[in-house]
Amino acid sequence: MRETYGKLLPGMRLSDLAGKLIVIEGTDGVGRTTQIDLLKPWLEELGHAVLDTGMTRSLLAGDGIRRAKEGNNLGRVTQSLFYATDFVDRLENEIVPALRAGFIVLTDRYIYSLMARAIVRGMDPLWIRSIFSVALKPDAVFYLRLGIEQLVPRVVFSRGFDYWESGMDLYPAHDMFDSFCNYQAAMLAEFDRLSEEFHFETVDASTDARTVFSHLKTKILRLLEEDSRDAFRTLLSTRSGESAARRIQEAAVAAERVAAERCADARMVPVENLNLLPAPVAVHASNGNGHGALPQK
Amino acid sequence: MGITSGVRIGPFEVFAPIQPAVSMVRQYGEHHFPGRLFVVEGIDGSGKSTQLSLLHKWLESRGYGVVFSEWNSSALVKDTTKLGKKKKLLTPATFSLIHSTDFADRTERSILPLLKAGAVVLCDRYIYTAFARDVARGMDREWVRDLYGFAVQPTVAFYFRVPLETAIGRLIDARDGFKFYEAGMDLGLSDDPEESFRLFQGRILDEYEKMIPEFGLTVIDATLPIEIQQASVRQIVKSHLAAAKEVRVQP
Repeated sequence: MRETYGKLLPGMRLSDLAGKLIVIEGTDGVGRTTQIDLLKPWLEELGHAVLDTGMTRSLLAGDGIRRAKEGNNLGRVTQSLFYATDFVDRLENEIVPALRAGFIVLTDRYIYSLMARAIVRGMDPLWIRSIFSVALKPDAVFYLRLGIEQLVPRVVFSRGFDYWESGMDLYPAHDMFDSFCNYQAAMLAEFDRLSEEFHFETVDASTDARTVFSHLKTKILRLLEEDSRDAFRTLLSTRSGESAARRIQEAAVAAERVAAERCADARMVPVENLNLLPAPVAVHASNGNGHGALPQK
Repeated sequence: MGITSGVRIGPFEVFAPIQPAVSMVRQYGEHHFPGRLFVVEGIDGSGKSTQLSLLHKWLESRGYGVVFSEWNSSALVKDTTKLGKKKKLLTPATFSLIHSTDFADRTERSILPLLKAGAVVLCDRYIYTAFARDVARGMDREWVRDLYGFAVQPTVAFYFRVPLETAIGRLIDARDGFKFYEAGMDLGLSDDPEESFRLFQGRILDEYEKMIPEFGLTVIDATLPIEIQQASVRQIVKSHLAAAKEVRVQP
């Protein structure tokens, strides 16, 4: 049975949340988005339906936060709560329904980034923990970690300085570069603290994207092999069998298209050969070089 | 808030994170600023806004620097709240959070700085509205109280107590129909807006009653004539302004 960090939202049932909640965390510039773009088609190729979500993507508060940030006059308490609104909207309307339908939810940042940002901005750690006590405990948190020496050039030389990523609301007396370094170092220190408290699995993000991807695949396969295949089979064989299979087929079609665009060199099996109806689940096992075996015909 | 210089990592000077000045958990920051904060609370139709508006005019006529802040009015947040209400996107949790975001913006942008500047700040609805409504919607009582831990404690919080039927009578006279969220229609208590309003506001009244001793709310009998209510409000406010000469704008 799934758990929250202490408080339960009204109307939220924790039973039957068969899917997996996988969190990718880390400071700005560690390559979280790149990894999610690689993981999603890979998981779909293995036959899993995947929902990816991330900060400020809620229907309710996403646009509001973007508008509020444009003016650079968003207060510290206000931004913490605005982000919490966005998070809870996605938790209730995306994450929980997807887990109930047996999806793997890949989330680009979770409550930990929001906590780190708030704490670095002087919010009381107990206060921010109380707010996020309604969050679901994830199945795994992969913390992509990059030392400050590598992080700074990676962000600065690829996309330049951003007001908020530079913590300019915190250190306005410095120029963008000084402010950026201070802010990112403070964030990194806070992430390292949270990492111990919430048992993150640290992944060294200083190597190239392919190597990081390969590490993540190994860890995720281990996680999925634990119990999900059974739950998945049960799901398929019982009440929602057909619709689940249909969703997987749809997801596979979408995955093929996306994957073809994103990683041209990935080995793919044409979707018509997947033979998903009626007896499905792709067999996945590590073949020793970090790549999952392809689904059997 | 000070930035303390810290360790050196690599080529960069690193600063420690800013430490919170005070605990934000349920302190309701008893403030020592020169300003004064008066808030009015009560269910819809209790007449609290009328009373606050009369108090506002009286304070201005006596030369005080008065600022008014209304529930749900932050320029930064209210478009999001409007979107949520119009499209019925709000759950009890996001309803609670978006209202706390609005309140946070008003606290950071106007209420706190104005109290520091010595103004008399008047709020139509305050954190007790959120406590009553959110708990009536099923949110955890403790969680909601923690959520507003950053709020400034009012000098006086007036609670305009009125029986449900009196309030409903006033509302029916004043306008047609009940609004979706105001009537708690999102909770599915009843398909009939008036009946839903009755049930939902009844829960809210229960919460207000519990908060009178919890937060030391000052109860005003809102069934009395307007003039009599206003006289007691002014008397109480006056007693809290006596030691606050500096808030008075010199003619």
